Amino acid sequence: MTAISRPARARQAADRPRRRRLSPLARREAFWGYLFISPWIIGFLVFVLGPMIASLLFTFTNINLAQETPLAFVGLKNWQTLLGDGQAWAALGVTFRFALLQLPVIIALPFILALALNSKYLKGQGLFRVLFFLPYVIPFVSGVLIWQGMLNLETGWVNMALRWLGVENPPNWLNDSAVIYPALVMIGVWGIGAGIIVNLAGLRGIPTELYDAAKIDGAGFWGALRHITLPMMSPVIFYTLVLAIVDVLQYFLVPLVINNGTGEPSGSTFFFNLYLYKNFFTYQNMAYGATLAWLLFLVTLVVSLLVFRSSRRWVYYAGER
Amino acid sequence: MRATRTTAAIAVLALLAAACGGSTPTTQPASGDTAQASTPASEPASEAASTAASPDAGASGEASPPANTPIPIGGSTAAPGQTEIRWYCCLGGGDAPEQVDVEKRVVEKFNQSHDKIHVTFEAVPYAGANDALATEIASGNGPDIVGPVGIGGANAFHGQWLDLAPLIQQNSYDLSGFPPDAVQTYKLDEGQVGIPFAIYPSVLFYDKALFDEAGLNPPPHAYGDKYTMPDGSKVDWTYDTVKQIAKILTVDKNGKDASQDGFDASNIVQWGFEPQRDDLRGMGAYFGGGSLVGADGKTAQIPDPWKAAWSYWYDSMWKDHISMTGPVYSSPDINPQDYPFFTGKVAMSENFLWSTYGLGDLKEDWDMGIVPSYKGKVTAAFNADTFRILKDTKHPNEAFEVLTYLLGDAAPDLLGAYGGMPARTAQQQAFFDSQDQTFTQKPDWNVAVQGIQYADQPNFESYMPAYNETLGLVGSGGKYTTKWQTEQGLDMNAEFESLRSEIQAIWDKQ
Amino acid sequence: MASGVGRLEAVAAGGELAGVTRSRRSLRPRRPRDAVKSFALTFAIVAVLAAFLSPMVRSALVSLKTPDQLSETNAPLLPSLPRQLEYQGKSVDIYVVPMPDGSSRQLALVKPGRTQSTFVDPADPALAPIVWQGAWRTLDRAWQLAPAWQNYVDVWNLIDFPRLLFNTVALALISMVGTLVSCTLVAYGFARFRFPGRSLLFTILIATIFLPGAVTIIPTYTMFAKLGWVGTWLPLLVPTFFANAFDVFLIRQYFLTIPREMDEAAAIDGAGPFRTLVSVILPQAWPAIIAVAIFHLVYAWNDFFNPLIYLSTRPELQPLAVGLQRFNGIHYRNPAYVQAGTLMTMLIPVVLFLVFQRVFTRGVVITGVDK
Repeated sequence: MTAISRPARARQAADRPRRRRLSPLARREAFWGYLFISPWIIGFLVFVLGPMIASLLFTFTNINLAQETPLAFVGLKNWQTLLGDGQAWAALGVTFRFALLQLPVIIALPFILALALNSKYLKGQGLFRVLFFLPYVIPFVSGVLIWQGMLNLETGWVNMALRWLGVENPPNWLNDSAVIYPALVMIGVWGIGAGIIVNLAGLRGIPTELYDAAKIDGAGFWGALRHITLPMMSPVIFYTLVLAIVDVLQYFLVPLVINNGTGEPSGSTFFFNLYLYKNFFTYQNMAYGATLAWLLFLVTLVVSLLVFRSSRRWVYYAGER
Repeated sequence: MRATRTTAAIAVLALLAAACGGSTPTTQPASGDTAQASTPASEPASEAASTAASPDAGASGEASPPANTPIPIGGSTAAPGQTEIRWYCCLGGGDAPEQVDVEKRVVEKFNQSHDKIHVTFEAVPYAGANDALATEIASGNGPDIVGPVGIGGANAFHGQWLDLAPLIQQNSYDLSGFPPDAVQTYKLDEGQVGIPFAIYPSVLFYDKALFDEAGLNPPPHAYGDKYTMPDGSKVDWTYDTVKQIAKILTVDKNGKDASQDGFDASNIVQWGFEPQRDDLRGMGAYFGGGSLVGADGKTAQIPDPWKAAWSYWYDSMWKDHISMTGPVYSSPDINPQDYPFFTGKVAMSENFLWSTYGLGDLKEDWDMGIVPSYKGKVTAAFNADTFRILKDTKHPNEAFEVLTYLLGDAAPDLLGAYGGMPARTAQQQAFFDSQDQTFTQKPDWNVAVQGIQYADQPNFESYMPAYNETLGLVGSGGKYTTKWQTEQGLDMNAEFESLRSEIQAIWDKQ
Repeated sequence: MASGVGRLEAVAAGGELAGVTRSRRSLRPRRPRDAVKSFALTFAIVAVLAAFLSPMVRSALVSLKTPDQLSETNAPLLPSLPRQLEYQGKSVDIYVVPMPDGSSRQLALVKPGRTQSTFVDPADPALAPIVWQGAWRTLDRAWQLAPAWQNYVDVWNLIDFPRLLFNTVALALISMVGTLVSCTLVAYGFARFRFPGRSLLFTILIATIFLPGAVTIIPTYTMFAKLGWVGTWLPLLVPTFFANAFDVFLIRQYFLTIPREMDEAAAIDGAGPFRTLVSVILPQAWPAIIAVAIFHLVYAWNDFFNPLIYLSTRPELQPLAVGLQRFNGIHYRNPAYVQAGTLMTMLIPVVLFLVFQRVFTRGVVITGVDK
């Protein structure tokens, strides 16, 4: 668990010898630290921890909505079921396969667009920023309805454009397992406004002197990108990466609406969180739904720890100690 | 330094205080009630939880007309001494804004005329209705009455319904006005879980203008009547007959129909036939009543008539082209309201009587004909809606009183809004008369009345093990429902077997 | 708007990637190479944007159609209706009919048939009907532009739009204030202070978003029901004053990119931690703060399920996201109303973004620190 900011600790240890007792100065610093994070600690204890523990307890019970057999602790039965549940593991596989396509796009595209929108060569930056932001504001269900229209085999605009370009048999986006992931990524990319904002905020925080200095050193666009922009943006990219991982592992809402949560075509949209959601709300088996959720929690935790661990190699914090 | 620190500490504490009383500012904009705004948030709230009657909230909620009800802090709108009964709406129909208006008026009327009971109306849009109800029930904060809900919608919450038999007896509630079969419909393993309210027999809707244009005779209006083909011959009104004339009524953009050479199946502009495609079980039931559950209650089976019905539908889409394929059906540019018959581009459609809600767009062009027969037997799949009481209700007597109000005094208003045919035989004519004011061409309602006696037995929405999970295969938007609509060239017999084994696998998990 | 951006940009120094200021650019002669680059980039962005926004165009067009118009095949792109004629009490469509002499006339189809159809002249329907040989479905209809602006009025009235808009604004703004204040403080605590258990606590903070929301809904709802908060705004507002992992993480990441030299300088000048936050950190962190404000606003604006379950008994307290779903029922569906409502709902967040977007404009010049 503590691996997440071990680099910070390591550096700390190098700065000065470790002490068992905190000095008065360090105690004062700790006091301020606790004080500032106290809203979260209180909120966590009051609003978050209870429901989390409750859901963990669910996994050791037979709780469900109908409760035809009396509520009881069943030990590890749900976890045993999970081990032998082919559907759950297949769904986890589907989720990872989709992540392979979704993650690079959802990380890189906002970064590239933010670079473009921040470039001195672009006219009317403010206007473009607003326009790229627009779809992000659209409520989820309306957005899905729009995309169902856009991607329809017969009358969708995407296929109309493809036909106009000379493609005779354009893909059946939402019903063909070969093209469903690109279709879902396309829908996902539509909310890219958020990613652009985060990246723009990051770019905005890079001191311009650094670029001036690089220029004097004769660095061109790529040199500046590699030696200034990317390192300085690494904390922001790290943030988008972690959130994108959490997002993609919990992905299910779009297929829930578009394909009615059936996992069609051919099981390609049977995402883990979809299976979880259906167990929880549709099949009303809260015990097993919670078990699936805690498995996903553990998977996410492991993946995130790996990412956090790798971050000490590539994330540069100007203000950390 | 010290001063700054103290200031900061106070600031943080003030922030937390503000957070704890976070509601206070929110009550001000809409509420002029200052006493209420200054009350600490949690106090009346917990009172409201224990007695379901917060004094503050109740007073303000009752004293002023609904239009400018202040925002109360407590969750209840009931006055002190009143029993709050929550009516949860919209697991199926009843969530359209116009319907919600009628429902609200019904509730208002009840509340004005009753001192002891306060009805709180909970209109949840369909998109979240199932999840929200599951959340409320699981959290021990379930509503008292749920409806309108169909047989299938109620089975999604199997085990949650109150057996009304003791209340019916205790209140000597008169059931004699209903057809006995209708009362029997709600007598299930959970008990007498419902009292009949709205019934929806099946009919064959047809578009007169499209029949005229093709020079065809309209479908027969009385069970037993024959159909007159264009050549003058009289034939039985069977699904084969329907397919034959549906081909003539299926037209491409060049004006050629599906019975002609050179028909362009990729550019169809008008379709001959639309089945009830919400639920595979319902679609099957038009060819004969049956069940996926074998006699032992745990073996999955597929009734032969259902296989025939599904093959008929599959061929209708992919071979005969008389029905929309999935991609066409799901195109918002062709079928924006999710029911193609409303667009005027479908000549015949087999459906429940509730489909009248969107027929206004067709103006005077539609009427009802009889459901065709399969192997000499007519089966008109049957739907019914009613209100039910949840078994966890804390106030069964009061809930029953509200229930009988909804089924009684409020019924004409509600049935009108839902387009629901009254289950009470005596009220049916009045309902048809009121519908005739909307549909001035005076459709032949008698067709619907005749359809009741051909209802499917057992009802296609009857309970089966792992109801909701199984529905994921055969229900609206279910796996096979979707697959057959979107994939051409399937071996249907193999599909039936794979469906059966998937169902069996789900049931075996139980 | 562009000039406003320029004015702000004027204070910033330009970089190769961070936008150079307009005023500075005007000081030096523009090189032709820059002009080419500028044109190419702008052109590329416009092309990407055209594809990117086409679904919105579609949404806008859908919002202006009646159900009839939506299902009209071969209709023009813009919301149109076939021209019609009132003929013997019925509306009949007008078609462009080719005449034997090679000309074509606009005629009203009064009796369609498979091989021959009967038309009348809309200018004078009393004249003798014209019988035309051929399949009428091959004819083009005479279209006229007919945007259904009424859809917007209907949406406004059907769901009591002003009331729901007020609720949405109030919920979004109050919870936004809570989020900004609490998340900034917490992020500051994590970014700038050392204390025992910091990394563990931070790990726990981040881990709270690893558990899918679905499973905590029921215990959370139970808790709020026990507190008596169901049927009020409290469950939607109070927790926002206690920070959330997403936003703390973002702000903390941003704080960590701010060099510490300035904090230390401020500390030497005698500023306490709180003043350092307000006078040193915040002025440099506006882009992140505004980003969080926008994210939270959009989240609160569109959140559907939480307001739904907590406010299901109180329609007069619900936000727009819940109200709009009324047009998307299982049997009752009006895509035009959904899209019209969506576009109306978007207006305020977009305007707010328009106002605040300039904060993302340029690179910063760090003053007061000798680097």
